[in-house]
This record gives sequence, structure tokens and C-alpha cells, in this order.
Amino acid sequence: MTKLVVQNLVKRFPGTQQSAVNDISFELSDNEILALVGPSGCGKTTTLRLIAGLERPDSGSVRLNQRIVASEAVFIPPEQRGVGMVFQDHALFPHLTVYDNVAFGLRGKTQAEVRTAVGEMLHMVGLLSHSKRYPHELSGGERQRVALARALAPRPVLVLMDEPFSSLDADLRAGVREHVRGILKSMRATVIFVTHDQEEALYMGDRLAVLQKGELEQIGTPEEIFHESNTRFVAEFMGDSDFLKGIVRHGGIQTAIGLVPQIVDLPISTPVEIAIRADDVDFHVDGSGNALIIDRFFRGAFNLYRLRLDTGQVIHAINPHTNILAVGTRVQAYVSAEHSLTVFTK
Amino acid sequence: MELTRTNLTYQKIRSRISPRLALAAGLVALFVAVPLAYIFIRAVSAEPEAWQRLFQERIWKLFGNTLALVIAVTGGALLTGVTMAFLTERTDLPGKKIFRWMLAMPLAIPAYIGGIVHLSLLRPRGGVIPQLLENLFGQPVPTPSPLGFWGAAFILTLFMYPYVYLLSGAAFRTLHASLEEASRIFGRTPIQTIFQVTLPALRPGLMAGALLVALDILAEYGTVALLRYETFSSAIFVQLSGRYDRSAASVLSGILVALAIGILWSELQFQGRARFTQMESNWRPAPLMPLGKWRIPAFLVVLGVVSASLLLPVGVLLVWSIQAFLDPETMSMLFHTGSQGFGTYIWNSLWSSSAAAVIAVLLSLPVGLLAVRYPNRVSKFISRLCQVGYAIPGVVIALSLVLLVNRFLPFLYATPLVVVIAYVLRHMPQAVRASESALNQLSPSLEEAARMMGRTSLQTLIQVTLPLILPGLLAGGSLVFLTSLKELPATLLLRPAGFDTLAVRVWVWAGEGFYFQAAPAALLLVLASALPLSFLLRREQIFK
Repeated sequence: MTKLVVQNLVKRFPGTQQSAVNDISFELSDNEILALVGPSGCGKTTTLRLIAGLERPDSGSVRLNQRIVASEAVFIPPEQRGVGMVFQDHALFPHLTVYDNVAFGLRGKTQAEVRTAVGEMLHMVGLLSHSKRYPHELSGGERQRVALARALAPRPVLVLMDEPFSSLDADLRAGVREHVRGILKSMRATVIFVTHDQEEALYMGDRLAVLQKGELEQIGTPEEIFHESNTRFVAEFMGDSDFLKGIVRHGGIQTAIGLVPQIVDLPISTPVEIAIRADDVDFHVDGSGNALIIDRFFRGAFNLYRLRLDTGQVIHAINPHTNILAVGTRVQAYVSAEHSLTVFTK
Repeated sequence: MELTRTNLTYQKIRSRISPRLALAAGLVALFVAVPLAYIFIRAVSAEPEAWQRLFQERIWKLFGNTLALVIAVTGGALLTGVTMAFLTERTDLPGKKIFRWMLAMPLAIPAYIGGIVHLSLLRPRGGVIPQLLENLFGQPVPTPSPLGFWGAAFILTLFMYPYVYLLSGAAFRTLHASLEEASRIFGRTPIQTIFQVTLPALRPGLMAGALLVALDILAEYGTVALLRYETFSSAIFVQLSGRYDRSAASVLSGILVALAIGILWSELQFQGRARFTQMESNWRPAPLMPLGKWRIPAFLVVLGVVSASLLLPVGVLLVWSIQAFLDPETMSMLFHTGSQGFGTYIWNSLWSSSAAAVIAVLLSLPVGLLAVRYPNRVSKFISRLCQVGYAIPGVVIALSLVLLVNRFLPFLYATPLVVVIAYVLRHMPQAVRASESALNQLSPSLEEAARMMGRTSLQTLIQVTLPLILPGLLAGGSLVFLTSLKELPATLLLRPAGFDTLAVRVWVWAGEGFYFQAAPAALLLVLASALPLSFLLRREQIFK
């Protein structure tokens, strides 16, 4: 069932040239986690705030559970929308205990019901023993979990999360991320998750929506976004792609590292670029090869090499071999990918 | 965060306290503690009849009077201060930039000078406004009297609310927008949000403001005496100056200080564990609330407060001053009273307050250094001890110094130096707080760098630390100067014959009914206070 429909949403802030959100449309079904991802200033947080009711759209509409909550004619204030939100800075009320923070959104219930619901939520985030503490007595990770419990306690129709992990230290983030995704899935929550970190988006999202300059570049499953990027921006942003120059020929695309046997629906001799990632390229030592090793970065499980092709272009390649090759070694590089690569016309 | 972390590592490296510094701070603490302890000793050792006599007749009434005034004014100041802060910080009130200044400026007007102006305007018989109404209608028209409890509560509220206004204004400013947004998301309307989230989250700031007001009311002498409302402070003053009953004054002082410490303690209790945590990343100011049809009424309310507490007193003082200068008789009185003139009063005011400011800042340095660089129980205790001056009214310090000096240092008796010592004791907390906060903002690694490059600890202090914390020290000094300039009861009780300051002269002349003559001195006092005050306000974010 469709939970949320966003149609042609536009928001421009006074005193700015460009729209913060420009004609964005998407839908979200029950129990789905959508990750809104993009560089800072791309409009992802504004989109979230428009859905929450913290901003008013200039045009377009937001429909929540088949009910219009924002359009040109209608504006339902945030307190009547029944959504939950986890703020970037957590926004825990400093004057309330952990228990009272979680209970804050539970209204029109008996005390016993509130006690059960809060207890359940705190148990789930593993903070039952902290219920009498105040926010300033908690660690960053604990605050984050209280914020999540507070957002989930009223069983909202939709949960909005605005870069919820950005204030955590890197070593904490991975663990918290797994824990939070588990909780969201076990509660069958419908979630929009905003992040600027593509790895986090790939991990958290059932689907991803990539935004740039207020516009929706692409929406799809993590695999689609990663392997079948619609635009050069998506390919660049999602996965550190190199863009290998080539020319369309019969039977493939001719590049500086050989013919890539991929048939594209383009006229012969069209100049194109192929998005390739370091794991799509392999090489072996060859004194008369087509590339030169100019850098090697040790990455634990593998070595990442920077190769300069004879055309002058620099590409990256992962080489899992334990034999370490010196900078300056001449090698023969080739495309080793077994899946189809994304091709852009120049 | 960053600072505390560096502080911690610093602790590990240099946990040995410098004995020189500890000695200096200890001496300062002793200097502060002795007058306080002496009052208690005298109160306890007073003859039992003095206690009995006082308990039978006076104390309960004084207690009730004082507490009622403290509660009324603190409540009034909270209501006024928070409302004004909300209107100027969080709404689209017209002219709010200029209002921010005007709402803070009454701090430069001593409450008794405001009281003199309001009294002369509203006095039931002979006041300007009742007179005007009588002439207009041909018969007396009943007007609210500024005398007694309600008058004192009204006038003190007018000149005390800026404490609450400044502290809650700063709190409104630093409050994170997302707190209120979270409240909306979880189902509260904008009005519910103000009462359930915004104000409770601001509570620490509001409580700090309320505490300052409450302690100031306990210490207030001039206004309550003027408006004929008896509190502990004014009763002690009468005992000391008129009847000269020192044991009765000691008993009353002991109780007054106990009351003040009680207020301090209950504030700490009430504060509890819920603390205002400055939130970390990406602070965003909360959006302004459109006033809509309330724009004009809100504007008029703010204008009313500003008029009663600033425009009217300053305007009236100006008119009186001009009349004084136009009248040759008043002029000659002004410039030659006995062997002294106007210039002497200015000079006395300035040098005694400046001396107090310099001494207080110098004394606060070792205390601040010890508390910030070597935080442990002892240094914290010393720092707290140096801040009890807040809770000790001027009359009590005067009494204690009279008794102490008479007994142990008779050569100091009736010298201006005792007046300066009283100022220092009373206003030292402001200097200590300023020094501590300036030092807290200074990364210890700067001092470590100087030590690494071959400076001794004393050289480091002079070449690195002092220049860097100078603005903070100046702010502390300005506060001490400002409040010493206004200090009335301690000056009246301790001054040697003939040592007249502006504050004393205003008080004496106004008490004798020479308003025109008092006006130029009062106006000058206000201006002299307004200068350091505007320096202080400029340091605050909201006045930039």
C-alpha cells in the first residue's frame, strides 16, 4: 500500500536564486525505508522538513495515508500529521528525563498504557536502565537511541530521520546503524532517511533517491543506483567512478585499455565515457603494457593502484594479489567487469 | 568539548599546585570569609534579651515583609523580563533592535533614583500627576500611591527586570530551533510548545536571573526606605545609624544572611539534575513568530515598560537638571555645599569605585587561576566562598566592617578606605566569575607553549595569560565599578564625615526635598553607569 505521495514539490527560500527543492516527486510504500542521499545543500533536508510540516511548500503536494497534508490550498501543521522524527542533533528535551522524553509523544493514553509503551521502546533500544537519567548524562550513542525511541513510541505512520548518525564518532556509527536498521525493520516502520554518506544510504535504504541541486536525479534499489546510474552525477557520487573515454565501434567500445565488448544503442564513432570502478579494472605486469603504476595505497585486504594510461588519463584498479608492485612498473590494464557498465555520451 | 579535553590532559601533566598561587588564593578567601564569619559570631553571642526582644516584636513582621517583597518583585521581574525577551528575540516586534538596548539600560539607573522620580510624580499629596489631575477636575482624584508594599514592588520590578531580561534573552538566543520543532512533531501546538518545552528548557537561565533579583531585593535599602516599607535591610540600617544598637543589628543581620544563603541553597536544589545542555552541531536560530494583529498592542506594552523604567526617569532628571542650572540659588548650592562642591563628589565616586574595581579584579585572579587550572574540592570551595558576597547585603557588610575595624584596626576607622573595602567585599563575586570564565576560554596549551619556550610561570602569566584574558578582566572590572557606583547603604554607614559621593548626595538632597539640586548628580550617576554598561552589553551576542 502506498504510504506517502510527494508530487511536484517546490520550495524556494527568500533571497536565494535557486530553488532548494525543485519539482520533486516520489512515492513510498508501507514498511519501506527510503534513503534520500546527496551532497550538502542538495535539498534533502528541506524535502524532509516539507514532509514533516516544518516548512511550507511553494507548490506541489504531499499526501500521507491518502490524506493531503500540504498543497497550495491545504497546510496541516506538524502536530496534526502524526509523523515521527529523529533530528540531526537529536533535540532531546534537556529538562525531561529519558522516560519523559520518550513519553512526550504519547498523548491521550492512560498512564499504564504510557508506561508499557515507553518500557517497550526503551527495552528495544537497550536503555531501560537509563530511564531516570537526563539527556546531558548520556553518551552520544545513547542520546541517539533515545531520540529513536521517542520517534517510534507513538507508532507514527511515517518516521523521518535527518542525518541521525552524523553526530556519532565513526567507530560507533557502523554498530548503531546495524542496530537501528534492525529495530526499524522489526517494527515494520515506514522511514525516510536523509544522509550525505553514500555508503550509509546503500546500507540503510530499501530504495535510494539521489538528489542534486534540489532535483531528483534517480530513484531505485541500491543495486540499480550503484550499477545502473542514470546520470554521470549519480555514478560519480555513489561510487568513486573513473570515466574512461572511448569511441563506439562494431562489437563494443574502443578505449585506451582495449575493446570493451558492450553493445550500446548509439551510432558508430560516437565519443562516450564509461563509468568504471576500481574493482572493474585488472592488470598484470607487462614491460610493453599500456599503463604505468604511479601510486599504491595499502588498504588491508587489497591494494589500490593508481594507473596512468598512455593517453594521460588516470584510473584506479584494485589488485588483490599479495605480490606488491613498485611504483613505476609498466603493466597491461584491462576491463575485467562481468556485468554491463554504464555508458554516457559526452 | 575541545576545551575540557585539553584541560584534562593538562591536569595529568601538572597536577602539583603551585604553593604561591594556593597561598594567594587562600589569603583572598580569608579576607572574604572573616567579615562574614564575624557577623555570625556577633549574632550568636548577642545578649539573649536582644534576641528575645526582637523575636517578640519585630522579627516576624520583618520576615514577612521581606519575603513578600522578594516574592512579589522576583515574580514581577520574571514575568516582565521573560515577556520582553520573548517579544524582542522571538517575534517580529517593530523596532526590536533599539528596544533591546533600551530594555537593558535601566540597569544603569539605581532603583532609589527611579523611586525618587516616580515618588515625585505620583505622591498622593503634592505629586506632579495628582496635582495635575486636581487642577484639571477641580477636586482631588484618587491615584495609586507609590508608597508601601505595592509601590515598592512596582518600582523595584521596573528596575530589576533587566537582570532576568538579559539572561533569558541570551537563553532564547542560544536555544536550538530543533527542540521546538520536535515538540511540534510530537503533537504540541505553538502555544503548548512555549509552555511545555521552551520555558522549561530556559529554566536555568531564568532561575539565575531570578536569583540575582531576589538577592538584590534582600540587600535593597534606598528604595524601601524611600517608600517607607520596612525590610530587614532598612531595619538594620535604622538600628545602626539611628539607635546605634549593634547587637540588635547583628541579630537581624545574622538572620538576613541566613535567609540569603537559604535562597541560594534552594535555587541549587530546585535546579536539580536537569541542566541546560548547549547542543553540539549546526545551531540554527528559531524562526520568528509573526505577531499579526498583536503587533501594535505588543509594541505598546514594550514601549510602556521602556517609558516607565528608562525614558521617564531620565527625562524627568533632565528637566530638573535644566531647572537647577537656570536657578542661581540652586546652582550655588550645587557647587558649594560647605567646603565641598560638585567636583569633589564626582571625584570621590570615581576613585572609590575604580579602586574597588581594580582591587576586586586583582584579588579575583589567584582565585580564578586556582579554580580553573587546578580544579579540585579545595579550589572550588575557595571560589564559592569568594562569591558569597552576592548574598551579603551592603548594610551587613557595613555592620561587620564597623565592628571589625573598631576592634582590631582602629586606625582605619572613618577613612574612605573602609568604604572601598566594603565595595570590594560586596562586588567581588562579579570579578571572580568574570576571571573564571575568561580563563576557562583560554586553552592551557598556550601557557604550556610559553613554558616550553623558556618562560617561568610568572613570566607566562604576565606575557601570555594576562594579555589574553584582559577583555574578560575589564568586563569584570566594569561590573564592579558599575555596582560600586550605585552602592548606597554601605557608603552611607561607613563614610567618614565629609566623604560625599554622587550616590550619597543624591540621597541626602532628595531626602531633604531638594529634587532640582539632586537631579544633576543623579543624571551624572546614571551616565557614569551607562558607559561601562554599554561596554558590557556590546560583548553580548544579542547586542551586536
